Amino acid sequence: MADWDEEYNRTFGAGQAAVASGSAPPANPFLERIRDVARDDDDIDIDELMAPAGIQAGLFDRTGSSTQGEPPIQQLIRHWMNERHAPDILPIQEQLLASILDHIRRQSDAVQLIRSDPGASQEEHFRIVLVQTEIERIKFIVRSYLRTRLFKIEKYARYIVSNVDIQTRISASERAYASKQAKILDNHFWVTVLQSLPEAQSHLDDTPIFMPPMVTEPDKSRAVFVHALKQCPPVILPDGSSLEMAKDHISLVPFSAVENLILRDEVELV
Amino acid sequence: MAEARQFGDLATQLVLESRRSTATDTLLKYNDPLVRSIIREQRDLERAADPLVLQSLDAPEGTPPPPGLIIIQTAINRNKRCLLAYHSHRVERFRDMYWAVGGALPHILSNADIRSKLSPHEVDYLRQYHDSVMEYRADLGTNELDIMAGIERPIKDLNVLVKVVKDCGVIQTELGSIDFKKGQRFMVRRADIEHLIVQGYLEEIV
Repeated sequence: MADWDEEYNRTFGAGQAAVASGSAPPANPFLERIRDVARDDDDIDIDELMAPAGIQAGLFDRTGSSTQGEPPIQQLIRHWMNERHAPDILPIQEQLLASILDHIRRQSDAVQLIRSDPGASQEEHFRIVLVQTEIERIKFIVRSYLRTRLFKIEKYARYIVSNVDIQTRISASERAYASKQAKILDNHFWVTVLQSLPEAQSHLDDTPIFMPPMVTEPDKSRAVFVHALKQCPPVILPDGSSLEMAKDHISLVPFSAVENLILRDEVELV
Repeated sequence: MAEARQFGDLATQLVLESRRSTATDTLLKYNDPLVRSIIREQRDLERAADPLVLQSLDAPEGTPPPPGLIIIQTAINRNKRCLLAYHSHRVERFRDMYWAVGGALPHILSNADIRSKLSPHEVDYLRQYHDSVMEYRADLGTNELDIMAGIERPIKDLNVLVKVVKDCGVIQTELGSIDFKKGQRFMVRRADIEHLIVQGYLEEIV
């Protein structure tokens, strides 16, 4: 993670330098062209990618009392971190992903347009490289987010197909993936082991006493580090005591205790 | 069951193999003989249990089941669990392998060393697994995002200097098509050739 932060700083540091050394805004053909190309109201447009100070302030100094007004990229990073740290599968952020992917698409189109323009200056090409790099890095996060979910879905596939609650938290394609995974794993067990066993033993779902269940379930009692984004209502810990977290408080608690706080965006996993 | 050994010894050996595989981070050859002998043991155990089951059915109400039966059933359950654990452990390794090469299934299956360690059923499993991932990828319906690319390190530069380690033919890149021949060096767009680095055709020059 440290590496990522450092890189992030460096990338945006470079962006800042470029902006600082650029010519005066009205005489800047790049920015003018960008304005004509794709005017959109989402938060991660080129102007913003080129304005590192704003992003950094948003990322590292949470002055707001909640996550309201948080740019999509920071939301994505937060959900990605939560997903990576949580033992259970968290609700999919379909809207957020769709808007970010959509945005990436428009940015790429804009980049293509400027690239194919023979009149583009040296400086514009330099900026394009920065934008492209940033697009690739955002894609990296989206990819990592989705793959983390796939990893958990594979692991808990049999549990997911039998549990309606968890099915509401995953997307339609993830549901299809889960049931396919459960099916091919069952089939693999059947052809390699179960079909050769005597009839009485050839079922996968027996529940022998004194043994853990056959179906892997998420271990919600696993400890996670939470960071309170605002003043949180008290949560009950497994030993019966309650914990009330003030803003910016960091705690090591069982996942089950803070599950609801995560869903309400009141805490983040770190 | 003429050999002087306990029920479950073989299953212990099998689980030890899984452990060894994890400890050394290598894929071991599928131990078909051992799996078969455990399945044989299961049948023997089932046969040994049958008369005891009948006997306990005949016994008057309230009589506890014969202790022998409990021991046999415990052994049966344990063996079965070990068999499933062994296969499940291997399957997990395959998934890791699969994603490590960016989902290039032919790359795994054409590797003679790996291929010799897989059972035919495991090859089937990998194919089905690959289909399942491809379905998911098609569902995502975006050309922008390649779900198969690496997720270990965020990229630092758009372009990368690579050395060709193995011939890989003509590849379409942003700069036009390039014929990668062994020994050559190129400065290329990372996204275009990332999968070739992962599969070991190209090597990044740092």
